[in-house]
Amino acid sequence: MKNKTGIVLLVLVGIAYSVLFALNEPKALPALQESLHVLLFIIPILAVVFFLMALLNTFVDEKSIAKHIGEGSSLKGWSIALVSGILSHGPAYVWYPLLQDLRNKGINDGLIITFLYARAIKIPWIPMMISYFGLSFTVIFSIYILVGALLQGLLSNQLNRVLGSRNL
Amino acid sequence: MKRFGQALKGALKNLMMIAPMLLAIIGAIGLFKTYITPEMLKTLFNGSPLHDMLVGISVGGVSVGQPFLSYLVGGELLDNGASFYGVTAFILSFVTLGVVQLPLSFSIFGLRFTLIQNVLALLFSFVLAFSITYTLQVFS
Repeated sequence: MKNKTGIVLLVLVGIAYSVLFALNEPKALPALQESLHVLLFIIPILAVVFFLMALLNTFVDEKSIAKHIGEGSSLKGWSIALVSGILSHGPAYVWYPLLQDLRNKGINDGLIITFLYARAIKIPWIPMMISYFGLSFTVIFSIYILVGALLQGLLSNQLNRVLGSRNL
Repeated sequence: MKRFGQALKGALKNLMMIAPMLLAIIGAIGLFKTYITPEMLKTLFNGSPLHDMLVGISVGGVSVGQPFLSYLVGGELLDNGASFYGVTAFILSFVTLGVVQLPLSFSIFGLRFTLIQNVLALLFSFVLAFSITYTLQVFS
């Protein structure tokens, strides 16, 4: 993991805030408050994710992953990726470290991509989607997301096979 | 128990490694939410399906926030004359693409994974926006 990129980006965001505060403090303050709000929102989710990572590293080894949801994934693997994607909570980036851990243990990229796309179905927000766009839209939208998530997973595995170990 | 303690330490080390990037992204999210308003977004749509799909995907891809925000903005866009194609594309890209998250994805998963994932998500935003709206029209 390239730690320096994060530090550079953090410095750039810090500079942007400093400039905005200097130019127009009343407008910049809500931006900072919004960021703090997001931070407070993701802290409990991060805690859950890192607890799951620790559990995973303690009780799940590469062999069992490879057996159930590794290379040449079975229906079980794809189903797990779809359902866990739908059920996962919080922003996608919070899940990245856990997903990378799973990759290191042998889960193929297709399953990760399927997981990430299936996250477009947000169960807690479904009533709101229905109230804005109707039941038909919500049902069709959700079905297409599931199909799209699966297709993207399969396509990415195919692409990885074609590209082999080539670096981009 | 000892193994779990070591695993917790490893997870904490991982958290510390991504902390600067995470904080940077959270800072950027605050800026986006404050400086890019729904009113600004509305002016970009004109009701033409292809134009609105392109705009919807571009705007949704750079927008950040809770998914319900995309429904709120999407509903307003529909009321203001944007096509269903554009609004569907906007919602799809809002929840599946994330320009702000790209640096973190790149630093954790690497360039190849990030590129494949985002190019596929981009293409599928077009395909699914069209398919969803078309299916909806057929059934209604």
